[in-house]
Amino acid sequence: MINLMPGVESAASALHAEKIRMEVIAQNIANANVTKMADGKPYERQVVRFDSILSEKLGADSQAVPQFVKAASIVGDGRPPKIMFQPGHPDANESGMVAYPNVDVHIEMADMIASSRTYEANLAVIKNARSMALQTLSIGHR
Amino acid sequence: MAQLQAELQMRRQVGGANDEISSPGFPSIGSEGIAQSKQPMVGFDSLLGNFVQEVNNKQVASGDAITGLLGGGDVQLHQAMIAMEEASVSFQLMVEVRNKLLEGYQELLRMQV
Repeated sequence: MINLMPGVESAASALHAEKIRMEVIAQNIANANVTKMADGKPYERQVVRFDSILSEKLGADSQAVPQFVKAASIVGDGRPPKIMFQPGHPDANESGMVAYPNVDVHIEMADMIASSRTYEANLAVIKNARSMALQTLSIGHR
Repeated sequence: MAQLQAELQMRRQVGGANDEISSPGFPSIGSEGIAQSKQPMVGFDSLLGNFVQEVNNKQVASGDAITGLLGGGDVQLHQAMIAMEEASVSFQLMVEVRNKLLEGYQELLRMQV
């Protein structure tokens, strides 16, 4: 296989990983007010853990450079839910306290900006690789 | 096409002769270069054929990606776009190679005997 555009596969894997991160952020924001899930607890904020994977094409003798990135797992945040006093709420306990998800929308918004900027950076890599290839092909033009 | 192949054959022979002439000056590099270049013995026509086949494969892959994306398959938007760009860039490379070959052929036709 000829490889005309260097770095595109790594950037594509990063694009996919950022897409998953964006989906998780959207899920966090959408569920920011869910006080009771199927297990009776409030929604717990989810975090994506990225992992770097070696290219399968690299043999054992070549230098093992981490080439791709992937969203390895989606794990719970682990912090306790926010307890608020809302006596009229259907999910309030006997003392009128309601457990809200540990999602902070401001933090999610900041994460979303970071994710979007990372996506842009990887898109820039792909655009640059394409323009490098086209510029190199233009050597043949007069 | 037969003339073009004959011309390529001639070029190859001239290139081989050059290698042997220049090899005494650079003994180690020359012998290695000849050994590497002569071992596969793949003709330029089949090389070109394989390349065209690969460009075609990229076009087919790009078409598949677009079909998968529009049909709601398991294809990401960026995968489809990258496949399209790869197809386009490799096609342009193929056009450049073709232009260069044709240019050499025209040059040969214009040659005074």
